[in-house]
Amino acid sequence: MGAIRVQRVDKGPWPARQAHALWHTFDIQMALYALALGIVGLLIAWTNSAGAPLAAGSTFTRGLMWFAIAIVVFTVAAAFEYRWLRTFAWLIYVVNIALLLLTLALGTGVGGVSRWVSIMGLQFQFSEVAKILMVAVLAAYLYSRRENIGSLWTIVGAALLVMPPLALVLVQPDLGTSLVFGAVLGGMLFMTGARLRWLLLGMAGILAALPLIWLEVLKDYQRRRLLSFLDPAADPQGSGYQVVQSQIAVGSGGLFGKGLTNGGQSAQGFLPERDTDFAAAVLLEELGFVGGLVVLILFVALLWRVLLIGWQSDHLFGIAFAAGIASLILFQLVVNVGMVLGIMPVTGIPLPFITHGGASLISIALGLGLLQSITMRRAQPSW
Amino acid sequence: MTDTQLGRTSPRNGLVIRFGVFGLIVVLVVGVLATRLFYLQVARGGYYAGLADDNRIAVRPLRSTRGLIFDRAGRPLVTNIPSYVVAVRPVDLPFEERPRVVSRLAMLLGIPEREIIEALDRNADLLFESVRIAADIPTDIARIITEEGRTLPGVEVSVEQRRSYEYGPLVSHLLGYTGSVTRDELAELGGVGYLNDDFVGKAGVELTFEEVLRGTYGLEEIERDGAGRVLRTVQVVEEPQAGNSLELAVDTTIQREAEMALRWGMEVAGLERGVVAVMNPQTGEILAMVSLPTYDNNQFVGGIAAEDFSALLEDPNRPLVNFAISEQYPPGSTFKLVTGTGALSERIITPSTKVQTGPYREIGGYRYWEWNRRGFGQLDIFDGFGHSSNTFFYQLAGSLGMDRLARYAHEFGFGSRTGIDLPAEARGIIPTDEWKRGLFDQPIYPGEVLQAGIGQGFDSATPLQVLNAYAALANGGKLYKPQIVRRILGPSGNVVRDFEPELIHELDVDPEALRTLRVAARRVLTIRHTYNLVQLPLVVAGKTGTAEFGTRDAEGRLPFHSWFVAFVPKFTADQEGDPAEPDSELAVIAFAYDSNTKGNAATEIVKYFLQLHYDLDVDLRRPDLLERGNFYGGT
Repeated sequence: MGAIRVQRVDKGPWPARQAHALWHTFDIQMALYALALGIVGLLIAWTNSAGAPLAAGSTFTRGLMWFAIAIVVFTVAAAFEYRWLRTFAWLIYVVNIALLLLTLALGTGVGGVSRWVSIMGLQFQFSEVAKILMVAVLAAYLYSRRENIGSLWTIVGAALLVMPPLALVLVQPDLGTSLVFGAVLGGMLFMTGARLRWLLLGMAGILAALPLIWLEVLKDYQRRRLLSFLDPAADPQGSGYQVVQSQIAVGSGGLFGKGLTNGGQSAQGFLPERDTDFAAAVLLEELGFVGGLVVLILFVALLWRVLLIGWQSDHLFGIAFAAGIASLILFQLVVNVGMVLGIMPVTGIPLPFITHGGASLISIALGLGLLQSITMRRAQPSW
Repeated sequence: MTDTQLGRTSPRNGLVIRFGVFGLIVVLVVGVLATRLFYLQVARGGYYAGLADDNRIAVRPLRSTRGLIFDRAGRPLVTNIPSYVVAVRPVDLPFEERPRVVSRLAMLLGIPEREIIEALDRNADLLFESVRIAADIPTDIARIITEEGRTLPGVEVSVEQRRSYEYGPLVSHLLGYTGSVTRDELAELGGVGYLNDDFVGKAGVELTFEEVLRGTYGLEEIERDGAGRVLRTVQVVEEPQAGNSLELAVDTTIQREAEMALRWGMEVAGLERGVVAVMNPQTGEILAMVSLPTYDNNQFVGGIAAEDFSALLEDPNRPLVNFAISEQYPPGSTFKLVTGTGALSERIITPSTKVQTGPYREIGGYRYWEWNRRGFGQLDIFDGFGHSSNTFFYQLAGSLGMDRLARYAHEFGFGSRTGIDLPAEARGIIPTDEWKRGLFDQPIYPGEVLQAGIGQGFDSATPLQVLNAYAALANGGKLYKPQIVRRILGPSGNVVRDFEPELIHELDVDPEALRTLRVAARRVLTIRHTYNLVQLPLVVAGKTGTAEFGTRDAEGRLPFHSWFVAFVPKFTADQEGDPAEPDSELAVIAFAYDSNTKGNAATEIVKYFLQLHYDLDVDLRRPDLLERGNFYGGT
């Protein structure tokens, strides 16, 4: 699509009558890929609804509701003037931290963790939204540092910004989401042109701190999960069991899969967490290699559009925001699918679109909607 | 460029490579995922696809063989014997079939239907995990259930190994037992491979060495048919690894001698509880540890019947408690070791100092009596310890003061757990001014210092602590951690770990003081404080103790426990032992609970133990001293 070049004539207000014209630059391809992935997620919700997908409160009907909400969120976010994010970055940051604190205070979860907050009877995981808000805050920060993007202090500042939410998520405890924060930070710094030597230095520092993290930060169950990844048989009934069962489910899917709702491994209860972290295993068992490949290709296509929006925006906020969303999707894809395929340790990281859970879907819709807002307004004079 | 026309630089120009690299990463990692996917689903897909659609592949753990326990002579104390177990996998038992299956099982197994239903409902949320219904079922019943398999959906019969404790009550307190893991324990152990219906050590070394004994479970992939029965093992993913075995420091021969002596003494004296423990002072090894009454740990194998368990719990003499380590009592005169060592080390007295004793010491308007209510005239430390003169040690304690007394008590290990590898060890109490202020908001009063000096008042200790203190005296000042386990052996008998003597600390006291007190401990016997113990044809040194407790009777007398702790200096056929030397290889303690007898019951028990242990050709037992009576006054 040819870029629309606009000569800046004056700094007057963007005429209201041109508002509808914004939608001409709406990235239809990106929306289509996301929609396709969302539908795949609904299919998995259908198959996971244990024979009664239309019953009230089933995984499918809840999925359908979140799907509808996500489309609204996406549309509103696209219509939203994204530049307000820069203006209110600090407010967003404060709200973000407040939400995470609230989660810790009110949260409920399984086995001593507090990740979910109940709103009107619906479980909601704020840490999912926190990821997107953090991408916006970091993008605003990097934009404000655009003259000194290569400086070490930019990296230090970005890391300091990420630290409080990351720590709050880590104590929930949710190692997976805090890793996502790290990946997003790394991706955004890399894509906005941070000096490689500082990035490498930072990575070396984190590597050096690993023994300390292992001993002091990680909980027992997290250590066991990592160990059981290295040696699945050591813990056959715990997370090792999940890893082995998940591989059996995937392997038995074969080339074309067993068909929706025909997944024996998952339906007969061998596969744990089929609604959540291991939803991808159900997908791969029932849709097979071909279905898995289609989903992977959809993800690559989506990532391509996301990066393209960053490229086309041609300002550091757009590049940073797109990089953050792309890093988030890529990292979660690799970790979740890698886990299901037995090449990554078991961490509670959801697969965007596929894993059931309202917060994950809403967050990704918010992120993609804001990207649409960026691309729709790329020709608009800057503030 | 438009951008330059607009007067700003285009940030993306410098980032072409970065965008390229990011794109490359996306392609690479997704490529890796796709490759892995291809490997699992297409290349190796036949591995799973070859199995019929209706068949189900599951992984299940392979249990490891629990390690054995031997005594120091290599006698097996516990073995594993095969046992048939019936379990139900709830998911495979259709609800409408349940009443029929339950009633048939109840009939075959001879247990009430209610028990089976309760067991199933207790685990209602764990559909896919087998629920154990009965263990140890006879072979013919197991065969019938297996043959009826088609009409008993969800019922599984398997062979498990169960513990068989060869010596039963003799070593129950040391070995402990295993039992079904509880929900709480499972949560604590969670993730280290414990199963829902697993067994775990509950007491004794079965508990403290659980990790050593358990081994590592393996993992196998099995194929089930539509009815959930196991058709075959697809592959063993990981072989189970048998647990390691324990070789105890305890010798069952010595344990038997100790139990025999204790049972005799308790029976003659009509006692309800008692302890005998034997230790090698040179290493800290526990050679025997008997606490009576005891229980039979075989009762716990495969689950103890509810009425048996409540009988054990309701027994007023608490047979499940190991009184050698889990209860604390006033140490009485055995504690004079601490007071004497303190006074000598602090130069309050020398070995030749004479101290005037009398009928009582008066402090703050209270009279603290000599045990014979007359006094012994002027005594040095040897005779003071020998006669166990209270007024002698009151004066030493008064000069030392509470805090110095406590310091020496801690030197001998009082007031802290010895760290023996058995569960539920008591700590004991050594009062200090600070301790009392913290607890009662009051300072220590001078009279309490006197009481503390003779092991009364707040002082309390476990029999093992007293034994360990005298072991440190006997070996010249080394306080060892008492060792219950000598070696850990691998499945093939190889030594995995050798328990070296483990020093808690070296006593920070004057070594000469210890030498003096070893000689004084011999004097306890030679002045006939212990009647005929000195007539044993071997040199023994020791200390009696009479510890008052409880409430006074009509005549103002308190009931008491009696103590005797002794050590046997090394001797040969032509060279008798010398108590001055720190070379004893045997220390023994007897503790007789609530023993109002004419003589010191504990002394009689130790005497009989020594007769048995050294196979002496004499019988110096004095049942007359064990008659109930009022040997009141303390020794």
